Amino acid sequence: MQKKIEKNVQYVLRKIAQLCSCTIILWSLNASADGFWDFDLFKKDEPLVVTVNDAFINVHNGAGGGYPIFHVVERGEKITLLKMHTEWIKIQTERGITGWINRSDISQTLSPDGNKPDFPDPTKADYLVDRFEFGAGFGDFDGAKAFDLNLGYRFTKNLSAEVRFAQNTGEYSDSRIVALGINHQPFPDWYVSPYFGIAAGQITTSPSTTLIQSEDRKDKVFQANLGAYVHITGRFFLRAELTNDYILTSHNTNEEVKEWKVGFSVFF
Amino acid sequence: MESRIQRIFLIGALLIATATASLAARADEPKADDNDELGKIITPDLKRRTIKESDLDTENFEVGLYYGLLTIEDFGTNEVQGVSFAYHITERFFTEAAFGLSKLQKTSYELLSGGVQLLTDDQRDLTYYNLAVGYNVLPGQVYVTKKFHFDTNIYFLAGAGNTHFADKNYFTYNFGAGLRFYSTDWLSIDLSMREYAFTHELFGTKKDTNNLEGRLGVSLFF
Repeated sequence: MQKKIEKNVQYVLRKIAQLCSCTIILWSLNASADGFWDFDLFKKDEPLVVTVNDAFINVHNGAGGGYPIFHVVERGEKITLLKMHTEWIKIQTERGITGWINRSDISQTLSPDGNKPDFPDPTKADYLVDRFEFGAGFGDFDGAKAFDLNLGYRFTKNLSAEVRFAQNTGEYSDSRIVALGINHQPFPDWYVSPYFGIAAGQITTSPSTTLIQSEDRKDKVFQANLGAYVHITGRFFLRAELTNDYILTSHNTNEEVKEWKVGFSVFF
Repeated sequence: MESRIQRIFLIGALLIATATASLAARADEPKADDNDELGKIITPDLKRRTIKESDLDTENFEVGLYYGLLTIEDFGTNEVQGVSFAYHITERFFTEAAFGLSKLQKTSYELLSGGVQLLTDDQRDLTYYNLAVGYNVLPGQVYVTKKFHFDTNIYFLAGAGNTHFADKNYFTYNFGAGLRFYSTDWLSIDLSMREYAFTHELFGTKKDTNNLEGRLGVSLFF
């Protein structure tokens, strides 16, 4: 078993190495054609300069609402946006003063083309399209304690695909589930937004070694999910889910397990 | 003869004229460039574009290494090292994943009884992973001089995960608090405490354990 995994890992690593070398060769071929070697990873990007379009914007001396306002930038003043940390943007004034402004204040500025900078409203559902979702949850899997992770990708406002991983720790046995699923969210704009989905994967059950010495068991599992996202702030959601697991066992009867979990999800 | 000399001169003049003309023509090309250069100087070097959020570099991810001491009930106090990975959602909320390695000592019973061994050497290797949600409860600043300061944060966190030793996973709740000290925008030092609570049945009956960890870490934001 372990050898097989090692073999697979080696295979994947070799493939990655091959892919990398191919890319490098292609790059260097391309290089001779057009000044590739001018490419500089650490090249400074063009500075992002915006003009203040409000009476004033407060500049804090730290990335937080509680940190003191030590400076203000006034209408017509040009500021350079340096970087963003959570919902705070580090700026530099023309005179070289650096400080932090709130993300929402960016709507009080103008881009070089005279339009407002394109910073989407974090409360709108469109904001989450083309984004990855990372979630974790804790719950109950037929009496066992469940720890869940999921990594998803949202294609449209309504549709997302995800990889689900669960580690269930029970009194008599532990189990792991790896599954691939899709979810549909009919009302993505709602504050509490329900979703449903299906998933398929594999469950590996290993009985506690203190009880009996037996082999790990692998079975196919199908899941039907019903859940809801609750919007907390920006890209942070609470996620609760009920899952019905159908385990296709090697016995005569298939097992049906009910599972619930509560967790959080972050879109990035 | 005269007309012949005239003709030679004429041909020469014509050649010079075409040469200069073509030279002038060639010279015109860079001249056009000069105009562009001039244009660049006159009009400011700003592209007429809308700035998008994705143009801006974000520093919301944090990766860190830590080292500390972990006390596991009945199994002594042991060195622990680990990696942590965090995502800062808002200025207050963050999520943190951690993976740590430690080793268990012998229980007092094993030491006193002489030959008895409850666990093999391999079973004494302890690993844990967990995921937690944190809240920066007391953001602060320390002032070195009137203007020169460092940002700090006191945070609480709670979560769950699994602890693996003695060939079994134990579902583990974790709670913690810490002080994060930002030396720069992108480098922070973390001094914190964690509590791991799990139940095991290694001694025959169920036993709830509370295990404490003190640790010091360094993190990078990217």
